[in-house]
Amino acid sequence: MSQNSLLQSYQEQPHVWDEMFSTAGIRSSYKNFVSAIADLPEAEMTHKDEMAKKLFMSQGITFTVYNSGEGIEKIFPFDIIPRIITGNEWALIEAGIKQRLKALNVFLKDIYHNQYILNDGIIPPQLIYSCPNFLREMINVNVPFDIYTHISGVDLIRDDDGKFYVLEDNLRTPSGVSYMLENRSITYRIFPDLLPKNNVRSVKEYPDLLYRNLLALGNRQISNPRVILLSPGIYNSAYFEHTTLARLMGIELVEGRDLIVDNNYVYMKTTKGLQQVDVIYRRVDDEFIDPLVFRPDSILGVSGIYWAYRKGNVAIVNAMGNGVADDKAIYTYVPDMIRYYLNEEPILQNVPTYQLADEDSKKYVFENMNKMVIKRTNESGGYGMLMGNSASDEEIQNFKNAINAEPRNFIAQPIISLSSTPCYINGILQPRRVDLRPFALYGPEGISIVPGGLTRVALKEGSMIVNSSQGGGSKDTWVLA
Amino acid sequence: MLSRVADTIYWLGRYMERTNGMLQVILTQYISSQDDADDFQWRSLIKIYGELTDDEIKSIETSSSKALAYMIFSRTNSASAYNNVMFSRENARGIQDHITKEVWQCLNDYYHYIRDDNLRKEASIADPVSSIDFLIRNGLLFTGTVDNTMTRGEGFTFINIGKFIERAIHSTDITRIKMNELRNDPHEGHAAMKLRYLLYSLFGFEVYLKTYKGNFTTKNTLDLILYNPDFPHSILYSIERLYKYFGRLREESLHENYERLEFLIGKVMNNIKYSNLHESDIKTLDAFLFQIRLDLFEISAAFSKHYFGNS
Repeated sequence: MSQNSLLQSYQEQPHVWDEMFSTAGIRSSYKNFVSAIADLPEAEMTHKDEMAKKLFMSQGITFTVYNSGEGIEKIFPFDIIPRIITGNEWALIEAGIKQRLKALNVFLKDIYHNQYILNDGIIPPQLIYSCPNFLREMINVNVPFDIYTHISGVDLIRDDDGKFYVLEDNLRTPSGVSYMLENRSITYRIFPDLLPKNNVRSVKEYPDLLYRNLLALGNRQISNPRVILLSPGIYNSAYFEHTTLARLMGIELVEGRDLIVDNNYVYMKTTKGLQQVDVIYRRVDDEFIDPLVFRPDSILGVSGIYWAYRKGNVAIVNAMGNGVADDKAIYTYVPDMIRYYLNEEPILQNVPTYQLADEDSKKYVFENMNKMVIKRTNESGGYGMLMGNSASDEEIQNFKNAINAEPRNFIAQPIISLSSTPCYINGILQPRRVDLRPFALYGPEGISIVPGGLTRVALKEGSMIVNSSQGGGSKDTWVLA
Repeated sequence: MLSRVADTIYWLGRYMERTNGMLQVILTQYISSQDDADDFQWRSLIKIYGELTDDEIKSIETSSSKALAYMIFSRTNSASAYNNVMFSRENARGIQDHITKEVWQCLNDYYHYIRDDNLRKEASIADPVSSIDFLIRNGLLFTGTVDNTMTRGEGFTFINIGKFIERAIHSTDITRIKMNELRNDPHEGHAAMKLRYLLYSLFGFEVYLKTYKGNFTTKNTLDLILYNPDFPHSILYSIERLYKYFGRLREESLHENYERLEFLIGKVMNNIKYSNLHESDIKTLDAFLFQIRLDLFEISAAFSKHYFGNS
């Protein structure tokens, strides 16, 4: 390890893949970066760290926590040390995600139409019909170009063997892409010249690619279909992302109350009267999108939008009903889907997963609770989970009781030791665990993935939960050319 | 432009104008309270800029520090300056893609200043004039930032429409209240002082001195506040600006909606322009100002109905 004081204090962790260091020293992908920062005095690094925080705050890259009626601005914690991925690693990730999304997309078309995969016994039908995110309303609905998963964020982790595994497919309304863009814009301010010197691939074409895909979905024979972004409004924690994407694409940011459906066409209310809408990039969940069909108490959606969609008068992105494909219980079957639909072997592996509805699996899991992470199939954001190695006996027993009551609602996975990467915390580099969420865009011309993504980092020492709601932060992600 | 966005930005303009207008009135009242130790109380202003019952008003009306804290900094008083700024900021958050970053940051700073405990303390135990002046300056900074950074599109138009409707209502209301106070004051010698504070409340004191020198008369004061086409807080000026900004919406409007609003704004503008209240008695003046107020509310309701999609 280097003689430099910044690096000297770095503690390697046994049985954990470190993104920057190997037993032989600094990995080649990080060498340029490390040589650029190795001689920086602590005060300068701290200055960069503080400058990054100020830039986030002054540029309004914040989320608001509402406390007794008052909005308090907070920044999503950002670590200044980038996470670096080599070109070869990225090629594998890119190919693996594309393969996976192709299969998941065919699966969604199949499950809402002919259900060959059920008839051929690849997936047990009871798993589909017991999934709360399987929308019967989507059966036999034809979606434009047969594309369901226009925007997805596939969560990847790296085990101690250095291999990437898929942890989760987010196919509904994945968020975080604005932080991928903003993190990059902060990095070039705090580390001038380092991006070009390291041949880091650009991520800024993301909004252009997304807009091009959205435009292509317009069904009217007009030169410029109207594309809008539907947000739940300013109280949503991802509102900053909604405004950023709308601004970068130059499209209107609307709320449910701005839209109205007349004769199965969707219009937005403007100062010049009603104007027809062709494509909606919605950031409102399925259950809230149409109170006439889904939750009747929703005020975030638009009455009648489901039928406008069903009749093909408006395109909605992502398609409704995608939750059946990223359900944690269905996840186990994605490798089988790839083999079944594409006749290929999966490029990216799943984390081994036990279905607790299966008696043998349940028995095995119960015997090895301290090595397992238990997750509820219908929760995300790091909620509703149990880390077996750090849970008390009482917590374990409570989970066992809950599993016995509703085994379909739980899965178990062996605790994977997420890879670590150096973070600049309290003036020194310290290892923290990370995952990676690349964002894939599926349009009529195919799947594109901008080279990068959101690296989420568990900032608490020893923690493996990277979710922002649980104290996680993020890093800029560099993919080298 | 989305109706909701137009509505939000219009109210952003109104809230900010209202904040500055009320702060200037409060500042004037505070200064006059220091001149006039003779049984001074804040009741009339607390009624306008608050929501307290008579008994509750009694408990704070004789304490400048309590009255100022309630009207400016209170979080529970929905009409306080603090809440006006907070509402403005909430509005701005919802339409960030329609205002400039500079406008947002200026408003964000203003919000953080007005919720700063030090400023509150200074107003309470030190010099309220400095604190209120500081807030007014931030309001003026906001106006200048809007003017210098926003493109002259629909957003800019609606923020100015909101501003000038609010200003016209404010000038009308304050003139009515002060002229009625003048009528009810048994001391004839107080007239010049009351006119002076009326002018001061509407940022018109200096311009009055330059126009009419030191001779304070009701006729000249009304002439300035009602009819002066160059004084930015005169009622005619505010409505003429409103008319001008509204004219920019012609291309962006449905014809029938535009015609309806144009009629209403033109009517009130001409009612003022072709009136002659210089020598009128105070009752006629009061009825006239009250009618202007009703007309302005009708215009606001018509915007809400025809442009903001609220029925």
